[in-house]
Amino acid sequence: MVDSGTGLCLTEGQLDERSAAATVQLRRRGVRAGDTVLICLTVGPDLLVATDAVIAAGGIVWPVPAELDEGRLRDRIMASRARLMISDLPRAMNAARESWVRMVVSVAELHSYPVSRERRTESDPTGRRTKGDCEGV
Amino acid sequence: MSEPPRHNLPAEPNRFVGRERDVDDLCGLLGETRVVTLCGVGGIGKTRLALRVAARLVPSYPGGVWLVELARLTRGELILQEIGRAVGIHEEGTRPLLDTVAARLRDTPALLLLDNCEHLVDQCAEVAAELVAACRGLGILATSREPLRIASELVWRVPPLDLPDERHPEAESVQLFVDRATAAGTKLSPASLDDVVRLCRALDGLPLALELAAARTSLLSPGQIVDRIDGRFSLLTTGGRTAPPRQRTLLAAVEWSYDLLSAKEQVLLRRLSVFAGSFDLELAEQICADRPISEAEIVDLLGALVDKSLVLCDEERRRYRLLETIKHYAAERLAEAAEREVLRDRHLEVLCELQLRHFGTEMVEPDLPWPVRLAALEASRSLVDDQRAALDWAIESGNAPLGLRLCAYSTSLLPVSSANPAEIVGWVERLLALDLTQVPDEQIAHAQAYLAYGLEGRDELARSLEYATVSLAGLGADNVFPSCVMHSLSVVVLLRMGRGDEALHHAETGLALAIASGDQWNQAAALAGLSAVALTRGRLREAQCHGEEALAKARQHGHRWLLARTATQLGAVAEARGDLVKAMAQYELAVPWLEELNGTIELARCLARIGRVAALLHEFEVARERLAASLKLSRLTGQRQSVARCLVSLSVLAEAEGDLESSVLAAASATALRESMGQHSATIRIEELLTRARAKLGEGRTATLWSRGRTMSPDDAARQVLAGERPVPAGPVVTEPVRHSLLTAREQEIAALLTRGLSNRAIAEELVISPATVARHIANIMEKLGYTSRAQIAVWAAEQPRGSA
Repeated sequence: MVDSGTGLCLTEGQLDERSAAATVQLRRRGVRAGDTVLICLTVGPDLLVATDAVIAAGGIVWPVPAELDEGRLRDRIMASRARLMISDLPRAMNAARESWVRMVVSVAELHSYPVSRERRTESDPTGRRTKGDCEGV
Repeated sequence: MSEPPRHNLPAEPNRFVGRERDVDDLCGLLGETRVVTLCGVGGIGKTRLALRVAARLVPSYPGGVWLVELARLTRGELILQEIGRAVGIHEEGTRPLLDTVAARLRDTPALLLLDNCEHLVDQCAEVAAELVAACRGLGILATSREPLRIASELVWRVPPLDLPDERHPEAESVQLFVDRATAAGTKLSPASLDDVVRLCRALDGLPLALELAAARTSLLSPGQIVDRIDGRFSLLTTGGRTAPPRQRTLLAAVEWSYDLLSAKEQVLLRRLSVFAGSFDLELAEQICADRPISEAEIVDLLGALVDKSLVLCDEERRRYRLLETIKHYAAERLAEAAEREVLRDRHLEVLCELQLRHFGTEMVEPDLPWPVRLAALEASRSLVDDQRAALDWAIESGNAPLGLRLCAYSTSLLPVSSANPAEIVGWVERLLALDLTQVPDEQIAHAQAYLAYGLEGRDELARSLEYATVSLAGLGADNVFPSCVMHSLSVVVLLRMGRGDEALHHAETGLALAIASGDQWNQAAALAGLSAVALTRGRLREAQCHGEEALAKARQHGHRWLLARTATQLGAVAEARGDLVKAMAQYELAVPWLEELNGTIELARCLARIGRVAALLHEFEVARERLAASLKLSRLTGQRQSVARCLVSLSVLAEAEGDLESSVLAAASATALRESMGQHSATIRIEELLTRARAKLGEGRTATLWSRGRTMSPDDAARQVLAGERPVPAGPVVTEPVRHSLLTAREQEIAALLTRGLSNRAIAEELVISPATVARHIANIMEKLGYTSRAQIAVWAAEQPRGSA
């Protein structure tokens, strides 16, 4: 796909790769099958990645148009009863303040590989192989 | 000895309602993320949720789950000290506390619950970031109105309880209200359910607001409550009208509840805000009784506040406390009533009086039975939080005379009973920096005495001696007790500095003074000092004589600290004489006394001595057991000096058992540890040990063992001796392959296709399933293998032997 704003391209392979990583992030934050996840992003590659990731994590996508004003955002956020929202918009974060949203995940966090707790157990002698990937986070 | 506890979480005061999914999710998140901050307005239930999660996680953290209550702290520097206190760390000399705490939390996964960070959020963020960076296995769960804003933090916004709707009339908020109303003795009729639903909505599902409302159901029906609270939103008298809606709701609820109190209940509630943490009835009576409340009324008023959920108490009604939100509100009312200064002054005065009395009972008065002294010691310890708050106020209000007085009469800040003997140093230094024109010189000298005492605990010997000397010069004839303490302290410091002659002078002067004033404590201490001086000069009979007299005096006084100290002194004398059986008996005598006092550092030292003597007596089992216990205490309290001492004793044990190799390893490890602390004195014992080792094992083998021991962690070196293992040459490290049977057949199939670089859509076509299904399988594979990208799976799958991946 092509982002009409920036002209940047996202290939199918990149989309698969990014949404897979994003799925991991959502699962780590406790998204379970059947959970509603709010997505409040401008139209573009990130929106596509987020949507695919929510579906792969078994969640229900509840998109909210990024252009709405804070009051109307708040109404939709409240109505969704969602526990998690994917957004970068300060307006959306404010609107979620009095809602049931527990966590707001930014696009950057969705793409990042946060340091996972390195618990080495007998059955998992390698630990989680994430350390090298996360230095820049 | 009993196992140390794995957590310090309080029992839940009542039933925890709802939030089950949240608790599950948070437990899961803490397995993945190092720092989770529960954010939200006051009264939303952050602390309760955090405690619930923490309690559930106790089995997952072998290093323990530790609650650190920050609300009572007024200064950021105290955060680390409070963390140290929660996990049982004792400050060590001049070593930065952060290092000691980090060393304690580094090796075994532990969880810290930092509760109520908001007023010190920047310092909390700093400490949390440093600890997380230093300790791999450490998790932090914080509660705060604001996020900490550190890199590894995950912000989790605590929502209100679920509100009822048509499909879920039994929502969490309704359950909580009904539960608390029932606990308050109210039976709600089914007809009132509609009103309850309305009330829960009006209160936005805020747990604290619901609890305050439920506490009133004995007098008002849910319908009446909701009508009255609704009316308040338009006429809030406090807080910002611009505050977020939930904060306004909470204020309305708190204010409504406060306004319903009788005038006297209101006065008491706002006065209770001066207490640092929990308090008992007696303290409330002494500090809060003043017009219009009489002392006799307080018990009933307090009970009424508990019934209204404004004050919390434990089951036996021994300790009371205020929730932070309520305390904050009450403090505002106190300031509004222009009572803050008066109350805080009285808080300071009463604490001075109480600690002075406890100090006299514990230390000074002759011929009291030990249980009486112990009770005074414990009472003094239980006041330590309030004492800190009072000292803060003394500094804030420039009240140097009372502040210094409070420092001078408190063993809870001194090595006798405190985990941080150096704490007194900070307080006295801050107080001495105030305007001292109103303070008599004598009182300054008295404070300097305890400054000197604290400095010795921090190993700052030269400064300690300097202050002890200045203090002795300034203390007049009426202040015999601190003068004697200064003489005894000077003996200790001078002996540590190798200046025996001067020490002798102080011991003799101190003894004469103590005898003249009939002071048993200081007679015993001075006699023990004389014995120590004689011991360093090789006069064993004299040392024995003074030691026995010291023990007899200590028995008269009864204080366990003193008894343990004199018994240990006699043990050292017996050891010097070569009478190991007697030495061990003397040291063993001190163990139960030290256990009774919770004197962890001294107990560790004593156990290490017993271990060494037992090893020399070839009582190997006893030695092993004592040394293991000592090592554990030393590690838990973060005392490297103590760990080094254990390693030396373990080296003695190994040699006595004929295992010269392990003995060299333990000695080398102890030496390396001491060097890392800046101590470079090689001991004669180690030199002799190495000579024997070279003769028996050869130069090369000894050198190899020595350098291996130096790089070995103290724990590993200790384990080797404790387990009785002989050192083996290091073999090749065996690496286990990753297990892959975790994947289902379908997942293995997809993993294999990923190595061909196929897209989800291509894989979907190949397997005739939908791309969404492929994505879900891939998510599952990543979860099972702990990977975070498709590329990692592809690399992994390519490395697997064909057929198994």
